[in-house]
Amino acid sequence: MLKPVALATGSLLLTSAVALAQDRWDGADDLPVNPLACDGAAAAMEPTPYNGGQPTGAPDLSGQQITIVDVPKLVGIGYFAATTLGMQQAAEELGNVDVSTDGPTEANIDDQITVIDNYITQGVNAVLYAANDPVAIAPVLRTALERGIHVVGYDADAEPDAREWFINQAQFNGIAKAMIDSIVAEIGEDGSFAIVTSTFTTPNQARWIAEMQAYAAQCYPALEWLETVEAQEDNILSFNQANTLINKYGDDLQGLLGMTSVATPASAEAVTQAGLCGEVAVVGLATPNAMAPYVNDGCVESVVLWNPVDLGYAAVHVTRALVDGDLEPGDTSVEAGRLGTLQIINGSEVLLGAPFIYTADNINDFDF
Amino acid sequence: MAETNMGPATRSAATGRRRFQFGHEALLLVLLVVSLSVLATQSDVFLTTANLLNQGRLMTEVAIVALPMTMIIVTGGIDLSVGSMLGLSAIVLGYSWQNLGLPLGVACVVAVLTGTAAGFFNGLLVTRTKVPPLIATLATLALFRGLAEGISEARSVRGYPDWFFRLGQGEVLGVPSQLWILLVAIVIAWIVLARTTFGRSLYAIGHNEVAARFSGIAVDRCKLAIYTASGFASGLAGLIFVSRVSTTRSDMGTGLELDVIAAVVLGGTSIFGGVGTIVGTVLGFVLIQLLKNGLALTGVTSDATIVVIGTVLIGSILLTNFIGRRHRGDG
Repeated sequence: MLKPVALATGSLLLTSAVALAQDRWDGADDLPVNPLACDGAAAAMEPTPYNGGQPTGAPDLSGQQITIVDVPKLVGIGYFAATTLGMQQAAEELGNVDVSTDGPTEANIDDQITVIDNYITQGVNAVLYAANDPVAIAPVLRTALERGIHVVGYDADAEPDAREWFINQAQFNGIAKAMIDSIVAEIGEDGSFAIVTSTFTTPNQARWIAEMQAYAAQCYPALEWLETVEAQEDNILSFNQANTLINKYGDDLQGLLGMTSVATPASAEAVTQAGLCGEVAVVGLATPNAMAPYVNDGCVESVVLWNPVDLGYAAVHVTRALVDGDLEPGDTSVEAGRLGTLQIINGSEVLLGAPFIYTADNINDFDF
Repeated sequence: MAETNMGPATRSAATGRRRFQFGHEALLLVLLVVSLSVLATQSDVFLTTANLLNQGRLMTEVAIVALPMTMIIVTGGIDLSVGSMLGLSAIVLGYSWQNLGLPLGVACVVAVLTGTAAGFFNGLLVTRTKVPPLIATLATLALFRGLAEGISEARSVRGYPDWFFRLGQGEVLGVPSQLWILLVAIVIAWIVLARTTFGRSLYAIGHNEVAARFSGIAVDRCKLAIYTASGFASGLAGLIFVSRVSTTRSDMGTGLELDVIAAVVLGGTSIFGGVGTIVGTVLGFVLIQLLKNGLALTGVTSDATIVVIGTVLIGSILLTNFIGRRHRGDG
């Protein structure tokens, strides 16, 4: 009785091993990649018609006090604490916005849906979200739109018709270029590296990795891509995964790329504890506070990120503009307080700007 | 256990146990009514039909899996792999529909069968190899999740046709579709555990497995049946979950086992076996869901809500232990 089960299990494990070893890995979606030019020339942008959704029967609250709830992927981590800080700054500056942040304690699609669902029942004027899954979150966001609640995304998007606008912190190809350029600056054009990411299906990380692969193939064909490992957004798991990579590849491993604000410091810690500072380069996405010790020690040279405080700040400004009727489908730019005029791309996305690289020269100027 | 040593003692212990069960369920009911009334005064949208039905929708996956889990824990076992079985069934659904090209209806059947087969495998492990259920299902928790990730090749499956969403997002006679399934499942589980010889055998196994075996109860067959039922329920919950969130991901159901076990234990089922009812479990998951929802609606953040749920869980266990000790003292 056990035999067929064991056989089936064995063959399934084999297929999965083959599947993971495939050459081109295009992430969790099937979108085409669009690598930037190697010399950094700006890509020409074609205007796209508005493709977001519309709330039905939203009350006209132009200039009046509004309540916004912010539901990040999870609460209790530095990154979303920084977006919350930016939102509070914007709320203080505007004076007629009340923002509160509440979200799941783990990056879990079901918990996030439940939190949003409760706020819809409770009644708010607008929902801000950073999606754990672009499709899974869509039905609950559509419900919000149907109830006349404004919906604006930031950090991680949902299906466009399930929200009105999305604040795009950086274009995928821009981040991909910054990541690959930074690692190449340390390990050379024929170096070898591995990646520690959250999960293969997390939308942002999946797109970045796909774009990084396309950009590397175009600009640094000799670069060797050893492996990509999953570590959730878990501190201990990320450390263990980085450690495993160091032990597995030994001298062949010249660089580690951390794709999340948890994986990057954990990778830096693994390299520090292995005594390999200067031999294994660490580049990645992370918050400055988490990386400052490693950057100040000289173990890490560059940390790639946008400014999450600005991201949260922009999200609240865009929501205010939306409620006030200052941002409408078809607009090509929007005013966002101290950030000035932000460009609108891809139909219904507000672009925050080019990625920011934190180095020993500037990392101590930031506190988040 | 001490009370099964002699005939007369067993009988008095049994009545004591029944009284204690009523005690715990009454306690839960009081707790439920009190928290409902308190929360209702704090939020005017909490005690509305729309909100309560919506909560039923959100709770169905945990609830369906909690029913067979009650039976498993009653026998002194546990099934930690339910979340992984849910994930595996969900992935098989998406994979067999999109990659193997099966009609979606057939894919649904295949997915539920996969969950059932996974549960059967758990049952075989537990009964044939004599590995403790905690260890066996901890192993299959990793195994099934690994299979789900392997089969899915880390891709989500999306773009299901609209009719498929009727199960998870639609309504029948004004009530969320999946709540009807849950109601039927509750009735069946209640009859099986409270009104059949099979159900009584489960209590006997949980109380003293060796004695049950010598009394002629087909212990292994009973266990095989309930672990398989657990797999079936996880598969069904997976189907409902995919339909509710309209996408398939390999990490679906992660951590589900903890929510399920919390509901069952809060419902008064003893983790040592021999004690527990479906009514208690139903009260358990309803109480947890409404507490979570009510607290959220009154402005308590999610992280603080978890603290409250944990406190309620500890409090109810301490209280149950206290009442249990007093009853044993009486007997």
